[in-house]
Amino acid sequence: MENYPFSENSINSSIAFRSLVNATSYPGRTFQINKLNKPSVLSNAAATILITLCDNESNVYLSKEYNTDEVRNWLIFNTGAIISNKKNADFVIGTWKSLLPLNDFKIGVPEYPERSATLIIEETKYKKVKCNIDGPGIKNKLNIDLPNPELFIENNNLYPLGLDFYFTNDLEILSIPRSTKINIIKSEL
Amino acid sequence: MNEMSKNENLDIQIYNFAYLDENTKRMIRRALLKALCIPGYQVPFSSREMPMPYGWGTGGIQVTSACLIPKDILKVIDQGADDTTNAVSIRKFFQKTANVAVTEKTSDASLIQTRHRIPETKLKEKQILVYQVPIPEPLRFLEPRETETRKMHALSEYGLMYVKLYEDIAKHGHIETAYAYPIKTNGNYVTDPSPIPKFDNPKMNNSPAIQLFGAGREQRIYAIPPYTNVKSLDFEDYPFEAMKANFKCSICGSSDSYLDEIIVSDDGKRSYICSDTDYCKEQTKLNSKKED
Repeated sequence: MENYPFSENSINSSIAFRSLVNATSYPGRTFQINKLNKPSVLSNAAATILITLCDNESNVYLSKEYNTDEVRNWLIFNTGAIISNKKNADFVIGTWKSLLPLNDFKIGVPEYPERSATLIIEETKYKKVKCNIDGPGIKNKLNIDLPNPELFIENNNLYPLGLDFYFTNDLEILSIPRSTKINIIKSEL
Repeated sequence: MNEMSKNENLDIQIYNFAYLDENTKRMIRRALLKALCIPGYQVPFSSREMPMPYGWGTGGIQVTSACLIPKDILKVIDQGADDTTNAVSIRKFFQKTANVAVTEKTSDASLIQTRHRIPETKLKEKQILVYQVPIPEPLRFLEPRETETRKMHALSEYGLMYVKLYEDIAKHGHIETAYAYPIKTNGNYVTDPSPIPKFDNPKMNNSPAIQLFGAGREQRIYAIPPYTNVKSLDFEDYPFEAMKANFKCSICGSSDSYLDEIIVSDDGKRSYICSDTDYCKEQTKLNSKKED
Protein backbone atom coordinates (compact mmCIF):
# COMPACT_ATOMS: atom_id res chain seq x y z
CA MET A 1 0.00 0.00 0.00
CA GLU A 2 2.93 2.31 0.50
CA ASN A 3 2.92 3.68 -3.04
CA TYR A 4 -0.67 4.88 -2.85
CA PRO A 5 -1.13 8.61 -2.20
CA PHE A 6 -3.16 7.99 0.96
CA SER A 7 -2.32 5.22 3.44
CA GLU A 8 -6.02 4.70 4.21
CA ASN A 9 -7.87 5.96 1.20
CA SER A 10 -11.37 6.65 2.51
CA ILE A 11 -10.23 7.96 5.90
CA ASN A 12 -7.44 10.20 4.59
CA SER A 13 -9.59 11.54 1.76
CA SER A 14 -12.36 12.45 4.20
CA ILE A 15 -9.94 14.34 6.45
CA ALA A 16 -8.43 16.08 3.43
CA PHE A 17 -11.86 17.05 2.15
CA ARG A 18 -12.85 18.52 5.52
CA SER A 19 -9.82 20.83 5.33
CA LEU A 20 -10.98 21.87 1.85
CA VAL A 21 -14.50 22.54 3.14
CA ASN A 22 -13.10 24.68 5.94
CA ALA A 23 -10.71 26.54 3.63
CA THR A 24 -13.47 27.24 1.08
CA SER A 25 -15.93 28.26 3.80
CA TYR A 26 -13.51 30.66 5.52
CA PRO A 27 -11.60 32.40 2.68
CA GLY A 28 -8.31 34.07 3.52
CA ARG A 29 -7.59 31.80 6.47
CA THR A 30 -4.90 29.13 6.40
CA PHE A 31 -5.81 25.48 7.01
CA GLN A 32 -3.55 22.45 7.47
CA ILE A 33 -3.27 19.46 5.16
CA ASN A 34 -1.59 16.14 6.03
CA LYS A 35 1.36 14.60 4.20
CA LEU A 36 0.80 12.07 1.43
CA ASN A 37 2.84 10.12 -1.16
CA LYS A 38 3.22 12.42 -4.13
CA PRO A 39 5.57 13.54 -6.89
CA SER A 40 8.39 15.63 -5.46
CA VAL A 41 7.58 18.73 -7.52
CA LEU A 42 4.01 19.04 -6.11
CA SER A 43 3.32 20.42 -2.65
CA ASN A 44 1.41 18.18 -0.24
CA ALA A 45 -1.50 20.61 -0.29
CA ALA A 46 -1.75 20.78 -4.09
CA ALA A 47 -1.40 17.01 -4.46
CA THR A 48 -4.11 16.53 -1.82
CA ILE A 49 -6.59 18.71 -3.71
CA LEU A 50 -6.02 16.75 -6.94
CA ILE A 51 -6.23 13.31 -5.28
CA THR A 52 -9.31 14.20 -3.24
CA LEU A 53 -11.35 15.78 -6.03
CA CYS A 54 -10.23 14.48 -9.44
CA ASP A 55 -11.58 11.46 -11.27
CA ASN A 56 -11.96 10.38 -14.90
CA GLU A 57 -14.38 13.26 -15.54
CA SER A 58 -11.89 15.92 -14.47
CA ASN A 59 -9.83 17.91 -16.96
CA VAL A 60 -6.56 18.99 -15.40
CA TYR A 61 -4.22 21.61 -16.82
CA LEU A 62 -0.63 21.36 -15.64
CA SER A 63 1.54 24.42 -16.18
CA LYS A 64 5.01 23.92 -17.64
CA GLU A 65 6.87 23.19 -14.40
CA TYR A 66 4.31 20.56 -13.35
CA ASN A 67 3.79 18.93 -16.74
CA THR A 68 6.38 16.20 -16.13
CA ASP A 69 6.19 12.44 -16.66
CA GLU A 70 6.24 11.91 -12.91
CA VAL A 71 3.24 14.19 -12.24
CA ARG A 72 1.25 13.01 -15.25
CA ASN A 73 1.78 9.31 -14.49
CA TRP A 74 0.98 9.78 -10.82
CA LEU A 75 -2.19 11.76 -11.53
CA ILE A 76 -3.50 9.53 -14.31
CA PHE A 77 -2.71 6.30 -12.44
CA ASN A 78 -4.33 7.40 -9.20
CA THR A 79 -7.32 9.41 -10.43
CA GLY A 80 -7.87 8.69 -14.14
CA ALA A 81 -7.96 12.45 -14.73
CA ILE A 82 -7.62 13.83 -18.25
CA ILE A 83 -4.63 16.07 -18.96
CA SER A 84 -6.16 19.02 -20.79
CA ASN A 85 -5.52 22.43 -22.27
CA LYS A 86 -6.28 25.71 -20.49
CA LYS A 87 -9.67 26.21 -22.10
CA ASN A 88 -11.27 22.96 -20.93
CA ALA A 89 -9.58 22.64 -17.57
CA ASP A 90 -11.67 22.00 -14.43
CA PHE A 91 -8.55 22.00 -12.26
CA VAL A 92 -5.47 24.04 -12.97
CA ILE A 93 -2.16 23.76 -11.23
CA GLY A 94 0.82 26.05 -11.54
CA THR A 95 2.77 28.91 -10.12
CA TRP A 96 1.15 32.32 -10.33
CA LYS A 97 3.27 33.70 -13.19
CA SER A 98 3.01 30.56 -15.31
CA LEU A 99 -0.80 30.75 -15.32
CA LEU A 100 -1.13 34.36 -16.46
CA PRO A 101 -3.12 35.62 -18.26
CA LEU A 102 -6.18 34.11 -16.60
CA ASN A 103 -8.49 34.88 -19.54
CA ASP A 104 -8.21 31.41 -21.08
CA PHE A 105 -9.74 29.55 -18.13
CA LYS A 106 -13.45 28.84 -18.06
CA ILE A 107 -15.59 30.97 -15.79
CA GLY A 108 -18.91 29.11 -16.17
CA VAL A 109 -22.04 30.29 -17.96
CA PRO A 110 -24.97 32.21 -16.44
CA GLU A 111 -27.17 29.08 -16.31
CA TYR A 112 -24.33 26.91 -14.95
CA PRO A 113 -21.85 29.10 -13.05
CA GLU A 114 -20.27 26.02 -11.44
CA ARG A 115 -18.79 24.93 -14.78
CA SER A 116 -15.70 26.96 -14.06
CA ALA A 117 -12.05 26.26 -13.36
CA THR A 118 -10.54 25.79 -9.91
CA LEU A 119 -7.01 27.19 -9.84
CA ILE A 120 -4.38 25.77 -7.52
CA ILE A 121 -1.58 28.28 -7.12
CA GLU A 122 1.67 26.89 -5.74
CA GLU A 123 3.62 29.24 -3.51
CA THR A 124 6.67 30.84 -5.04
CA LYS A 125 8.34 34.13 -4.38
CA TYR A 126 6.30 36.64 -6.32
CA LYS A 127 5.44 40.23 -5.80
CA LYS A 128 2.43 40.61 -3.55
CA VAL A 129 0.28 43.56 -2.67
CA LYS A 130 -1.38 44.20 0.69
CA CYS A 131 -5.14 43.83 0.40
CA ASN A 132 -8.09 43.43 2.63
CA ILE A 133 -10.82 41.01 1.77
CA ASP A 134 -14.50 40.78 2.60
CA GLY A 135 -17.48 38.66 1.57
CA PRO A 136 -19.10 35.30 2.38
CA GLY A 137 -17.12 33.34 4.98
CA ILE A 138 -15.26 36.38 6.29
CA LYS A 139 -16.38 37.66 9.69
CA ASN A 140 -14.34 40.84 9.88
CA LYS A 141 -12.31 42.16 6.98
CA LEU A 142 -9.03 40.24 6.72
CA ASN A 143 -5.66 41.53 5.58
CA ILE A 144 -3.81 39.28 3.15
CA ASP A 145 -1.14 39.67 0.47
CA LEU A 146 -2.15 38.82 -3.09
CA PRO A 147 -0.30 38.87 -6.40
CA ASN A 148 -1.88 41.13 -9.06
CA PRO A 149 -4.93 41.97 -6.92
CA GLU A 150 -6.54 43.74 -9.88
CA LEU A 151 -7.11 40.30 -11.43
CA PHE A 152 -8.98 39.10 -8.33
CA ILE A 153 -11.09 42.26 -8.39
CA GLU A 154 -11.88 41.61 -12.05
CA ASN A 155 -12.74 38.00 -11.20
CA ASN A 156 -15.08 39.08 -8.40
CA ASN A 157 -16.79 41.51 -10.77
CA LEU A 158 -17.85 38.49 -12.86
CA TYR A 159 -19.73 37.02 -9.87
CA PRO A 160 -21.65 34.67 -9.85
CA LEU A 161 -19.35 33.54 -12.67
CA GLY A 162 -15.61 33.41 -12.16
CA LEU A 163 -12.61 31.37 -11.07
CA ASP A 164 -12.02 29.86 -7.63
CA PHE A 165 -8.50 29.92 -6.20
CA TYR A 166 -6.60 27.78 -3.73
CA PHE A 167 -3.14 28.94 -2.65
CA THR A 168 -1.00 26.01 -1.58
CA ASN A 169 2.24 26.08 0.38
CA ASP A 170 3.64 22.72 1.51
CA LEU A 171 1.09 21.67 4.16
CA GLU A 172 -1.01 24.82 4.06
CA ILE A 173 -4.01 25.82 2.02
CA LEU A 174 -5.89 29.11 1.68
CA SER A 175 -8.83 29.85 -0.60
CA ILE A 176 -10.03 32.92 -2.47
CA PRO A 177 -13.34 31.97 -4.10
CA ARG A 178 -15.02 34.17 -6.71
CA SER A 179 -17.34 35.57 -4.01
CA THR A 180 -14.48 37.29 -2.15
CA LYS A 181 -14.27 41.08 -2.54
CA ILE A 182 -10.77 42.54 -2.66
CA ASN A 183 -9.62 46.02 -1.67
CA ILE A 184 -6.09 47.13 -2.36
CA ILE A 185 -4.58 48.87 0.65
CA LYS A 186 -2.92 52.00 -0.63
CA SER A 187 0.67 52.13 0.58
CA GLU A 188 1.54 55.21 2.59
CA LEU A 189 4.57 56.09 0.50
CA MET B 1 -9.73 0.24 7.48
CA ASN B 2 -12.76 1.05 9.52
CA GLU B 3 -13.56 -1.67 12.05
CA MET B 4 -17.31 -1.35 11.71
CA SER B 5 -17.29 -1.87 7.99
CA LYS B 6 -15.46 -5.21 8.23
CA ASN B 7 -17.20 -8.51 8.07
CA GLU B 8 -15.64 -10.33 10.99
CA ASN B 9 -15.87 -13.79 9.48
CA LEU B 10 -14.40 -12.88 6.13
CA ASP B 11 -12.04 -10.10 7.20
CA ILE B 12 -12.89 -8.08 4.13
CA GLN B 13 -14.25 -4.58 3.91
CA ILE B 14 -17.92 -4.80 3.02
CA TYR B 15 -18.45 -1.11 2.38
CA ASN B 16 -16.50 2.11 2.39
CA PHE B 17 -16.17 4.52 5.33
CA ALA B 18 -19.52 6.31 5.72
CA TYR B 19 -21.20 4.03 3.15
CA LEU B 20 -20.66 5.84 -0.17
CA ASP B 21 -17.82 4.74 -2.47
CA GLU B 22 -14.89 7.06 -3.13
CA ASN B 23 -15.91 7.91 -6.71
CA THR B 24 -19.36 9.04 -5.62
CA LYS B 25 -17.83 11.04 -2.79
CA ARG B 26 -15.47 12.81 -5.22
CA MET B 27 -18.42 13.83 -7.39
CA ILE B 28 -20.38 15.10 -4.36
CA ARG B 29 -17.31 16.82 -2.92
CA ARG B 30 -16.68 18.75 -6.14
CA ALA B 31 -20.33 19.86 -6.14
CA LEU B 32 -20.12 20.91 -2.47
CA LEU B 33 -17.03 23.08 -2.97
CA LYS B 34 -18.53 24.83 -6.01
CA ALA B 35 -21.73 25.30 -3.99
CA LEU B 36 -19.71 27.03 -1.26
CA CYS B 37 -18.08 29.28 -3.88
CA ILE B 38 -21.49 30.32 -5.30
CA PRO B 39 -23.71 30.76 -2.22
CA GLY B 40 -27.34 29.82 -2.80
CA TYR B 41 -26.84 28.41 -6.30
CA GLN B 42 -28.15 24.87 -6.81
CA VAL B 43 -25.40 22.65 -8.19
CA PRO B 44 -26.69 19.54 -10.02
CA PHE B 45 -25.19 16.23 -8.86
CA SER B 46 -25.85 12.62 -9.78
CA SER B 47 -27.65 11.53 -6.67
CA ARG B 48 -27.29 7.88 -5.68
CA GLU B 49 -29.86 5.40 -4.56
CA MET B 50 -29.61 5.20 -0.79
CA PRO B 51 -30.90 2.44 1.50
CA MET B 52 -33.96 4.52 2.39
CA PRO B 53 -36.85 5.99 0.39
CA TYR B 54 -36.81 9.46 -1.20
CA GLY B 55 -38.26 11.99 1.18
CA TRP B 56 -36.41 10.49 4.15
CA GLY B 57 -33.26 12.52 3.72
CA THR B 58 -31.39 10.80 0.88
CA GLY B 59 -29.85 14.14 -0.12
CA GLY B 60 -28.81 15.07 3.39
CA ILE B 61 -27.37 11.62 4.03
CA GLN B 62 -25.23 11.80 0.87
CA VAL B 63 -23.87 15.20 1.87
CA THR B 64 -23.16 13.95 5.40
CA SER B 65 -21.49 10.84 4.01
CA ALA B 66 -19.19 12.95 1.80
CA CYS B 67 -18.27 15.25 4.71
CA LEU B 68 -17.95 12.87 7.64
CA ILE B 69 -14.53 12.24 9.24
CA PRO B 70 -13.79 9.60 11.91
CA LYS B 71 -13.34 12.29 14.61
CA ASP B 72 -16.81 13.76 14.03
CA ILE B 73 -19.50 13.90 16.68
CA LEU B 74 -22.79 13.55 14.86
CA LYS B 75 -26.21 14.87 15.84
CA VAL B 76 -29.32 14.12 13.79
CA ILE B 77 -32.64 15.88 14.30
CA ASP B 78 -36.04 15.61 12.70
CA GLN B 79 -38.34 18.59 13.34
CA GLY B 80 -35.98 19.54 16.18
CA ALA B 81 -36.20 16.17 17.93
CA ASP B 82 -33.35 13.68 18.36
CA ASP B 83 -35.63 10.77 19.18
CA THR B 84 -37.97 10.54 16.18
CA THR B 85 -37.83 7.66 13.65
CA ASN B 86 -36.02 9.52 10.88
CA ALA B 87 -33.39 10.95 13.22
CA VAL B 88 -32.82 7.67 15.04
CA SER B 89 -32.40 5.64 11.86
CA ILE B 90 -30.01 8.10 10.18
CA ARG B 91 -27.95 8.35 13.37
CA LYS B 92 -27.74 4.54 13.57
CA PHE B 93 -26.84 4.37 9.88
CA PHE B 94 -23.71 6.48 10.41
CA GLN B 95 -22.82 4.78 13.69
CA LYS B 96 -22.81 1.54 11.76
CA THR B 97 -21.12 2.67 8.54
CA ALA B 98 -18.69 5.29 9.88
CA ASN B 99 -18.34 4.33 13.54
CA VAL B 100 -18.61 8.01 14.54
CA ALA B 101 -19.54 9.28 17.99
CA VAL B 102 -23.05 10.66 18.35
CA THR B 103 -24.62 13.21 20.64
CA GLU B 104 -27.90 14.96 21.26
CA LYS B 105 -26.20 18.12 22.51
CA THR B 106 -26.06 20.82 19.84
CA SER B 107 -22.96 22.43 21.36
CA ASP B 108 -21.01 19.12 21.35
CA ALA B 109 -21.80 18.19 17.75
CA SER B 110 -19.32 18.84 14.93
CA LEU B 111 -21.81 17.85 12.23
CA ILE B 112 -25.59 18.12 12.50
CA GLN B 113 -27.97 16.66 9.96
CA THR B 114 -31.40 18.22 10.19
CA ARG B 115 -34.86 17.89 8.78
CA HIS B 116 -36.99 21.05 8.97
CA ARG B 117 -35.39 22.89 11.91
CA ILE B 118 -32.32 24.87 12.92
CA PRO B 119 -31.28 24.20 16.54
CA GLU B 120 -32.12 26.93 19.05
CA THR B 121 -28.61 26.82 20.54
CA LYS B 122 -26.32 29.16 18.61
CA LEU B 123 -24.04 27.32 16.20
CA LYS B 124 -20.27 27.81 16.21
CA GLU B 125 -17.50 28.15 13.65
CA LYS B 126 -16.64 24.97 11.74
CA GLN B 127 -19.81 23.22 12.82
CA ILE B 128 -21.53 21.83 9.74
CA LEU B 129 -25.31 21.90 9.45
CA VAL B 130 -26.65 19.56 6.73
CA TYR B 131 -30.24 20.19 5.67
CA GLN B 132 -32.49 17.57 4.09
CA VAL B 133 -34.29 19.29 1.22
CA PRO B 134 -37.41 18.02 -0.57
CA ILE B 135 -37.83 20.76 -3.24
CA PRO B 136 -34.64 22.80 -3.67
CA GLU B 137 -36.09 25.11 -6.33
CA PRO B 138 -37.95 28.01 -4.67
CA LEU B 139 -39.55 28.93 -8.00
CA ARG B 140 -40.78 25.40 -8.83
CA PHE B 141 -44.40 25.93 -7.74
CA LEU B 142 -44.52 29.13 -9.78
CA GLU B 143 -42.74 27.80 -12.89
CA PRO B 144 -42.61 24.03 -13.48
CA ARG B 145 -40.00 24.10 -16.29
CA GLU B 146 -36.40 23.64 -15.14
CA THR B 147 -35.11 25.40 -18.30
CA GLU B 148 -37.13 28.47 -17.32
CA THR B 149 -36.26 28.57 -13.62
CA ARG B 150 -32.58 28.18 -14.53
CA LYS B 151 -32.89 31.23 -16.81
CA MET B 152 -34.74 33.16 -14.12
CA HIS B 153 -31.88 32.54 -11.67
CA ALA B 154 -29.30 33.46 -14.32
CA LEU B 155 -31.07 36.78 -14.95
CA SER B 156 -32.01 37.36 -11.27
CA GLU B 157 -35.57 37.57 -12.56
CA TYR B 158 -37.50 37.12 -9.33
CA GLY B 159 -40.57 39.26 -10.05
CA LEU B 160 -42.79 36.18 -9.98
CA MET B 161 -41.81 35.38 -6.40
CA TYR B 162 -42.60 38.93 -5.29
CA VAL B 163 -45.97 38.70 -7.04
CA LYS B 164 -46.69 35.51 -5.08
CA LEU B 165 -45.86 37.23 -1.78
CA TYR B 166 -47.90 40.25 -2.84
CA GLU B 167 -50.92 38.05 -3.65
CA ASP B 168 -50.63 36.61 -0.13
CA ILE B 169 -50.94 40.14 1.26
CA ALA B 170 -53.81 41.02 -1.09
CA LYS B 171 -55.73 37.88 -0.07
CA HIS B 172 -54.89 37.48 3.61
CA GLY B 173 -53.61 40.91 4.70
CA HIS B 174 -50.19 39.45 5.49
CA ILE B 175 -47.62 37.09 3.96
CA GLU B 176 -49.16 33.69 4.55
CA THR B 177 -46.01 31.62 3.82
CA ALA B 178 -45.01 30.18 7.20
CA TYR B 179 -42.35 27.64 6.27
CA ALA B 180 -39.85 27.27 3.39
CA TYR B 181 -39.97 31.07 3.33
CA PRO B 182 -37.81 32.23 0.38
CA ILE B 183 -34.47 33.87 1.13
CA LYS B 184 -31.94 35.80 -0.91
CA THR B 185 -28.41 34.54 -0.40
CA ASN B 186 -25.45 36.91 -0.65
CA GLY B 187 -27.69 39.44 -2.41
CA ASN B 188 -27.90 37.24 -5.47
CA TYR B 189 -29.78 33.94 -5.67
CA VAL B 190 -33.27 33.39 -4.28
CA THR B 191 -32.91 30.16 -2.34
CA ASP B 192 -35.17 27.65 -0.64
CA PRO B 193 -34.23 27.40 3.05
CA SER B 194 -35.81 23.88 3.10
CA PRO B 195 -39.13 23.56 4.95
CA ILE B 196 -37.92 25.17 8.17
CA PRO B 197 -40.45 27.42 9.93
CA LYS B 198 -39.86 31.05 9.04
CA PHE B 199 -39.06 31.51 12.74
CA ASP B 200 -35.68 29.92 11.90
CA ASN B 201 -34.86 32.11 8.87
CA PRO B 202 -32.97 34.81 10.82
CA LYS B 203 -30.64 32.12 12.22
CA MET B 204 -29.30 31.51 8.70
CA ASN B 205 -28.09 35.08 8.34
CA ASN B 206 -24.43 35.64 9.16
CA SER B 207 -24.17 32.28 10.94
CA PRO B 208 -20.65 31.26 11.96
CA ALA B 209 -21.43 27.66 10.92
CA ILE B 210 -21.26 26.03 7.47
CA GLN B 211 -24.73 25.32 6.03
CA LEU B 212 -24.99 22.59 3.37
CA PHE B 213 -28.18 21.48 1.61
CA GLY B 214 -28.83 18.15 -0.10
CA ALA B 215 -31.85 17.25 -2.23
CA GLY B 216 -31.57 13.58 -3.22
CA ARG B 217 -34.58 13.07 -5.45
CA GLU B 218 -34.14 16.46 -7.14
CA GLN B 219 -30.37 15.93 -7.44
CA ARG B 220 -29.25 19.32 -6.20
CA ILE B 221 -26.67 20.49 -3.69
CA TYR B 222 -26.35 24.06 -2.45
CA ALA B 223 -24.67 25.88 0.39
CA ILE B 224 -24.61 28.98 2.53
CA PRO B 225 -21.06 29.65 3.71
CA PRO B 226 -20.50 31.13 7.17
CA TYR B 227 -20.93 34.90 7.64
CA THR B 228 -23.09 35.21 4.54
CA ASN B 229 -25.89 37.69 4.16
CA VAL B 230 -29.24 35.86 4.09
CA LYS B 231 -32.31 38.03 3.70
CA SER B 232 -35.90 36.82 3.85
CA LEU B 233 -37.83 38.38 0.96
CA ASP B 234 -40.30 41.06 2.00
CA PHE B 235 -41.68 44.51 1.20
CA GLU B 236 -40.84 47.85 2.79
CA ASP B 237 -44.39 48.23 4.09
CA TYR B 238 -44.75 44.51 4.93
CA PRO B 239 -41.43 43.62 6.53
CA PHE B 240 -40.51 40.01 7.23
CA GLU B 241 -41.60 38.74 10.63
CA ALA B 242 -40.26 35.60 12.29
CA MET B 243 -43.24 34.17 14.12
CA LYS B 244 -44.07 31.39 16.53
CA ALA B 245 -47.03 30.31 18.65
CA ASN B 246 -47.47 32.90 21.39
CA PHE B 247 -47.24 30.49 24.33
CA LYS B 248 -44.72 29.05 26.75
CA CYS B 249 -43.32 25.53 26.58
CA SER B 250 -45.31 23.45 29.08
CA ILE B 251 -42.18 21.44 29.98
CA CYS B 252 -39.39 24.01 30.35
CA GLY B 253 -41.39 27.23 30.31
CA SER B 254 -39.33 28.80 27.55
CA SER B 255 -41.09 31.53 25.62
CA ASP B 256 -38.38 32.18 23.04
CA SER B 257 -38.05 28.77 21.39
CA TYR B 258 -40.14 27.39 18.54
CA LEU B 259 -43.14 25.42 19.84
CA ASP B 260 -45.01 22.35 18.63
CA GLU B 261 -48.73 22.21 19.27
CA ILE B 262 -49.99 18.93 20.70
CA ILE B 263 -53.53 17.80 21.44
CA VAL B 264 -53.59 16.34 24.96
CA SER B 265 -57.21 15.28 25.51
CA ASP B 266 -60.22 13.98 23.58
CA ASP B 267 -62.00 17.31 23.87
CA GLY B 268 -59.17 19.00 21.97
CA LYS B 269 -57.24 20.59 24.83
CA ARG B 270 -53.92 21.89 23.53
CA SER B 271 -50.48 22.06 24.95
CA TYR B 272 -47.27 23.56 23.55
CA ILE B 273 -43.78 22.13 23.88
CA CYS B 274 -40.36 23.04 22.48
CA SER B 275 -39.73 21.45 19.09
CA ASP B 276 -35.98 21.39 19.88
CA THR B 277 -35.73 18.54 22.41
CA ASP B 278 -32.08 19.25 23.32
CA TYR B 279 -32.84 22.92 24.02
CA CYS B 280 -35.87 21.93 26.14
CA LYS B 281 -33.72 19.55 28.22
CA GLU B 282 -31.07 22.23 28.75
CA GLN B 283 -33.67 24.80 29.83
CA THR B 284 -35.27 22.31 32.23
CA LYS B 285 -31.82 21.67 33.79
CA LEU B 286 -31.16 25.40 34.12
CA ASN B 287 -34.55 25.91 35.79
CA SER B 288 -33.95 23.17 38.36
CA LYS B 289 -30.54 24.67 39.17
CA LYS B 290 -32.18 28.03 39.76
CA GLU B 291 -34.69 26.43 42.13
CA ASP B 292 -31.87 24.81 44.14
